[in-house]
Amino acid sequence: MSTLTKILIVLLTVFSIFLCGIVVTYVANANNYRQMYMGLRVEKDSAVKKEESARNELNTFKDETDRHKRQLNSTIDSLKSQANQLQRDLQTANAEKDDAIRRMSSWEAIVMDFSKTTDSQSQLLKNTLDELEKLRAEQIKKDKELKQTETTLLEKMVIISTLDKKAKRLLEEKTELQNRLNQLLRQYGKIAAPAVPVTPKPEKARTTSVARNIGLKGRVTAVDQKNSMAEISIGGAHGVTEDMKFHVTRGDEFICDILILDVDAEKAVGILDLVQQIPKVGDNASTNL
Amino acid sequence: MSPNGQTVGRKIVTLDNIYTVLLAVAVGAALVSVLFVAYKCYSQYGTIFKIP
Repeated sequence: MSTLTKILIVLLTVFSIFLCGIVVTYVANANNYRQMYMGLRVEKDSAVKKEESARNELNTFKDETDRHKRQLNSTIDSLKSQANQLQRDLQTANAEKDDAIRRMSSWEAIVMDFSKTTDSQSQLLKNTLDELEKLRAEQIKKDKELKQTETTLLEKMVIISTLDKKAKRLLEEKTELQNRLNQLLRQYGKIAAPAVPVTPKPEKARTTSVARNIGLKGRVTAVDQKNSMAEISIGGAHGVTEDMKFHVTRGDEFICDILILDVDAEKAVGILDLVQQIPKVGDNASTNL
Repeated sequence: MSPNGQTVGRKIVTLDNIYTVLLAVAVGAALVSVLFVAYKCYSQYGTIFKIP
């Protein structure tokens, strides 16, 4: 055997072992592509199923989304119309508010004027009532005077009636006497001269004042010693007039006089006169002792 | 083997047998590798030569 053959045998053995080791190592560590293929196919099938279901869900979701979209569009349209209506209502309400504010301002001015007018009317009413009270007191006084005058008038009418009857009777007697005198004088050719009244002609009738007691009675309600004045509990409504004099008594004791200076409806004020003692509240005050 | 070997003595025969063993080893290694590859192909793909 030649040397070259030996070398080739050794090299062949070495390379055979080396290559076989490489091949065995590669095959031992190679991937199982069939198993990987099967796994990937299963994954692909499941992915395809998932895709189908996802597509169905997507279609369903799209349909539902479209339906919701249509509903939302209709809702948006109705809301827009409502918003427009509300906008118009708001504008109307604002206009009404401005109008109401203007009317309120005018009413405020009217109410203020009315309040002022009411105050002035109240004051005028108060003054009128006071004047009415005074007029009532004066009316009562006048009524009393009228009654008194009527009584006097009736008395005078009775007197006048009696006098008329007397005058008529005297006239009849005068006529009868005149006739008799004429009959007697005719026998002597004479006639009676017209009668001349001996008594003077009657003048205009005058009423005689009949003195009588006024009879007003009241009580002292206030005393002002500083100004020597006092107030009594009766006034114009009871017939009290200015310059009327009241006698103040306490029991049987004379205290003073009050000369009335100012008369109100239910009270009167006067100055003290003939002061024997200082009058007190509650003392009797009367026009006649 | 050769007449030269017989004339030189037992040392040359021994050397020739070594090369025969080396060739046997190389052939055995190749055979084992082929068997291993065939086993792996069959176990993993179910066939040896066809593409599944």
